[in-house]
Amino acid sequence: MSTQNNKLNIKTAKDIQDASLIIDADVVVIGSGAGGAINAYELAKQGKKVVVLEAGPYVPSSEFKEMMAVAMGSLYQDEGGQSNTHGDVTVLQGACVGGSTVVNAALCFRTPDYFLNLWKAEHGLVNLTPELMSGYFDKVEKNLSIEPNAKHETSIGANLILNGLNKLAIEPGVAKRNIRDCAMSGFCFSGCKTDRKQSMLVTYLPWACNHGAEIYADTRVIRINTANGQASGVQAEVVDPKTKVVKAQVTVNAPIVVLAAGPIQSPIILQKSGIANSSGQVGKNFACHPSLSVTAMFDKEVNDFHGATHSLYVDTHTLPEEGGYILLNAVQEPVEASFQAEPGTGKNYVAYMEKYRNSIRLITLVHDENVGEVRFKDGVKEILYEVDDHDFEAMKAGLKFNARILFASGASFLYLPTSDRTVINSVDEIDSVIDQLKNEPARYRYTSFHPQGTCRMGADPANSVVNPYGESHDVKKLYISDASLLPTSIGYNPSETVYALSSYIADEIIKANFS
Amino acid sequence: MKDLMISRRHFIKKTAMIAAAITALPVVNAVAGVLTDESRMDDLERAVFAKMLKIALPTEGSTLIDPATLPVLPTIEGALLAGMEPHIRQGLRGGINYFNEGAIKAFGDRFVNLSDVDAVRFVDQWSASAAPPERALSMGLKKLTVLAYWAIPNTWGPLGYDGPVSDKWNLPSLGNTPEPKI
Ligand SMILES: Cc1cc2nc3c(=O)[nH]c(=O)nc-3n(C[C@H](O)[C@H](O)[C@H](O)COP(=O)(O)OP(=O)(O)OC[C@H]3O[C@@H](n4cnc5c(N)ncnc54)[C@H](O)[C@@H]3O)c2cc1C
Repeated sequence: MSTQNNKLNIKTAKDIQDASLIIDADVVVIGSGAGGAINAYELAKQGKKVVVLEAGPYVPSSEFKEMMAVAMGSLYQDEGGQSNTHGDVTVLQGACVGGSTVVNAALCFRTPDYFLNLWKAEHGLVNLTPELMSGYFDKVEKNLSIEPNAKHETSIGANLILNGLNKLAIEPGVAKRNIRDCAMSGFCFSGCKTDRKQSMLVTYLPWACNHGAEIYADTRVIRINTANGQASGVQAEVVDPKTKVVKAQVTVNAPIVVLAAGPIQSPIILQKSGIANSSGQVGKNFACHPSLSVTAMFDKEVNDFHGATHSLYVDTHTLPEEGGYILLNAVQEPVEASFQAEPGTGKNYVAYMEKYRNSIRLITLVHDENVGEVRFKDGVKEILYEVDDHDFEAMKAGLKFNARILFASGASFLYLPTSDRTVINSVDEIDSVIDQLKNEPARYRYTSFHPQGTCRMGADPANSVVNPYGESHDVKKLYISDASLLPTSIGYNPSETVYALSSYIADEIIKANFS
Repeated sequence: MKDLMISRRHFIKKTAMIAAAITALPVVNAVAGVLTDESRMDDLERAVFAKMLKIALPTEGSTLIDPATLPVLPTIEGALLAGMEPHIRQGLRGGINYFNEGAIKAFGDRFVNLSDVDAVRFVDQWSASAAPPERALSMGLKKLTVLAYWAIPNTWGPLGYDGPVSDKWNLPSLGNTPEPKI
């Protein structure tokens, strides 16, 4: 029954007084991000008692500070410090009520048919037809106000880049975003203070609570319990977000477990639980869309400080056969700008930052091979990932493409995000400078916004973790519903894929268990 | 210094990871953890960061705010080190030591004792080095230091950057979105 309060029914560490808590539910959902929130709502709407456990804190949007450095400390996994073992790829994820949807840039793409067909051919996902998926895309697009950017929803930098694209006769894409009446602050990555971004925090989570769902923040699941080959609930601990001290032990008894802790934590929870890994694929096949940001300096002030965080993209080369890279503009504040370019140490750096207002940035993001692995070793999480040589060539092609566009946009010179100073002074230098780049660890300033894979979906239990309906091959009634399902990297920003797949899996859970 | 006792190969591998991991760390932690004796900077770390701050941001003659007038080191300590996982914190200590000692080979003295000119050359040399741990440490420690500076809002004025806007622009919150009817 719906109460329509449309508010979160939430408990945080502050509200928990007992040292141990036992909760009975029909469904326990692990994680409150894209995958978790959608399942919580769809299953609660069926009249089931749903409990959502979220490791991160609850930060109401009124408390968002519109400062990247503060957001890192309060809304991001490992305070923004999560990286691969080499440390040269920062792997960003949200870790708060609403997960990465709270800090993402809201850009949405349907999964291209190319990948649905590939998954059918190579992973036996004959069920995920373009026809079936288009129904789910329609649904989440409606629910989350995913619509093409209005003409005015742009930024100064994006407009400059658009001029460059026009000059070079390159077709720009019109971005779609999950936003209502964008305020154009440019602070998507710090959380949307005025609730225009349609994150899970302001959509599916309150909607789930309308149907009786309960959310526990600061509550980290440490293992999934099973009995007779079936999921039976979870063990979790309530952790004080400030002191990191464990305050309470929580047991949730539930016959259905939905694991949606994201592509780094979901495989770790399975590894800690020692389950669902007869294929040996748990944690394997990690991909993350590494990206590099080129900084363009102009002779005049640009002041690209506010506007839609991303409003412009070019996807003429996104599919693997076409090059495997996508281009995105991005508004960045001084904290990010301060380390994306390398002008050299000292006076040169000061001169660069003094001209921050003359700069804009263009991101190259590559479709990558699933070469990484997430594992839990000696009590520590490890993300083993090195940019593959083939992917590095795609990155170089993307950087060249970007560089041409930035010069056509009026840039006077460019900084590449390398460890030591690398500058491109003119169009003529683009090829020679970029051709010299070698694929080496700790040489580039990569950021990944899109971890994927690690619990891939497939028909064959020998080489996938969950079946085509999201249920673990090994453990019945254990469903996985987050970006870890993706059998291959998709090259496009993946949130809409996760929204649609999670809606589909929720329907499959209902069909298999509640009909 | 205990870390320096372990075999060099193992240490370099570990240093590469730790050094590079710190390149990703933020500085202002709104839910900053409690600063314990283990997480607090020791004298050497304080000296390395102070030297790095001095050479990375020589603001004299520029429009930028002098870092000596801002709480940059307390920002690194209170916001970053306080919340750091113990194994990363321990590795960071080792990494900073390794970086400081690394200057002896090329410049004849520890990083903290170099002239500012040599310290800049050392940092740039390591950033361009063929050895990944050297690149990672140089890039990481410099990044950490400048991030702490730019995380302090007083530094933004000279850039023309105006910071948060929602309150300033009086933007109303749209609140939670109504649940879809079907
Ligand atoms: C900065 C940033 C920008 C992005 N921009 C875009 C964009 O513009 N467009 C786009 O399509 N995609 C974007 N993404 C990616 C997109 O948001 C993610 O792909 C998507 O949210 C993944 O959904 P998920 O359910 O797998 O995980 P998440 O949404 O990350 O949710 C996982 C949740 O599980 C919680 N959790 C983890 N471990 C546990 C545990 N042990 N117990 C309980 N809870 C746990 C986490 O704290 C987290 O809240 C961006 C991501 C980031 C970080």
